[in-house]
Amino acid sequence: MKNVKKGKITLTITIGIACLALVTVMFMQFKIVNQVDLNQLEVMREEELRTELANWKQKYEEAQTQYEQKSQTLEEYNQKEASDSETAQLVEKELAQVNLLLGKTEVQGNGIEIKITENASAETSITSDNLNMIVNSLREAGAEAISINNERIINMSDIVMANNIIRVNQQRILAPYIIKAIGNQTYLESSLLGNGGEADKLIKLGHKVEIQKDNHVKIPSYDKELTTKYIES
Amino acid sequence: MSNQRIISIVLGFMCFALTAGIFIQIKTVRQYSTASGKNYEQNNLRAEVLRYKERYENKLKEIETIDDALTEKIEEATNQNTGLEEAKNQINEGNKLIGMSEVSGAGAIITLADSTLDASKVLDPSALVVHDLDLLYILNELKNAGAEAISINEQRIVSTTAIECGGNIITVNGEKIGSPFVIKAIGLPENFANLNRPGGYLERMREESLTAEFKKSNHITIPKYTGIINYKYAQSVK
Repeated sequence: MKNVKKGKITLTITIGIACLALVTVMFMQFKIVNQVDLNQLEVMREEELRTELANWKQKYEEAQTQYEQKSQTLEEYNQKEASDSETAQLVEKELAQVNLLLGKTEVQGNGIEIKITENASAETSITSDNLNMIVNSLREAGAEAISINNERIINMSDIVMANNIIRVNQQRILAPYIIKAIGNQTYLESSLLGNGGEADKLIKLGHKVEIQKDNHVKIPSYDKELTTKYIES
Repeated sequence: MSNQRIISIVLGFMCFALTAGIFIQIKTVRQYSTASGKNYEQNNLRAEVLRYKERYENKLKEIETIDDALTEKIEEATNQNTGLEEAKNQINEGNKLIGMSEVSGAGAIITLADSTLDASKVLDPSALVVHDLDLLYILNELKNAGAEAISINEQRIVSTTAIECGGNIITVNGEKIGSPFVIKAIGLPENFANLNRPGGYLERMREESLTAEFKKSNHITIPKYTGIINYKYAQSVK
């Protein structure tokens, strides 16, 4: 009888120790798993870092090209100082670049053409906000020149709506809306057609949106006077 | 006899569980150590990002020096050749509109900020923050009111500027900005005041407990665009 009792006690103690060891290991386990979860977050951050890096690299490369172009122009100036007509040419070149960026020239290049046909029975009609968001998406995708129904969108272009009439650059435009954009075709297209993109939204509302890639998109110049009245210096 | 058997089975089972636990442990530890290797890689990446950022900023400074030298050259050239005076003026005027030079003049300052209400106490916390669409809308209204130059948090709005939304942060010209948003615009202050009309967009934002202040000003300075506009696809047609 006594012997049996002693054996039981030994067994209980052994099992107790084993349990303790097991629980300890489990707790250590939990702690490490927690840490690993944190690490998962950091891994996500790594992806973000990679995009960030690509972003800065691209910016840097653009700066580099710009720098090279400008130093070349400066070089040309230095060499041609002697002759009046040639400096005049360089000034003209500079002016041409300014006019290009202002939107004062007709431009041509790779791009896309978007045709939006309004469906009168769709839930909501197309508003100036839709067009504004499309322009913003195109800019996000790196569009260099944009026009809506042949109205060139420049820096200070507005798109507003009053009494159901959309006005771009104070000119009224009517459906169908034809938006042209010059830039990387794939980026431009996917920025609109991707899930949740502005064109995608319109299609889901029942409107018809056609996008065509074109290697010779022509976008007209801004045809009004560009002056500064309130900028002093 | 049968009692002992049960006990050994229990003990065997415990040993098995313990061993399994240890194996899982070893596996996790192994994963963990690769993760710390990634940590190291990450630091490298971070350093690389910083390095490129610095190189980019240095390049911009160099470009600025060249720009100054170019302006000087054009100045010289026009001094010698009065026929170029007109072209020079057009370049200067143009640069103001493109956003390539700092400008100042009369206008208005609009300040937008997220609500100070406790987000956990409202139905829709996203209504308490300023969104990219709010900025886009106000920009459009300012342009409609005849703005000649606009900046948001010192980021000049140029023809290629997009306002992007990335989670809680808004990106303008590829630079991250956050609340409060200070929008400056040069133009006729009386025209801009229309944005502050009763029932207008700013008032509606205020009704949603966001901050939306409007202030006319006689002297506003708007910085030049700090990035680069370089067309790769669009070319002038002659």
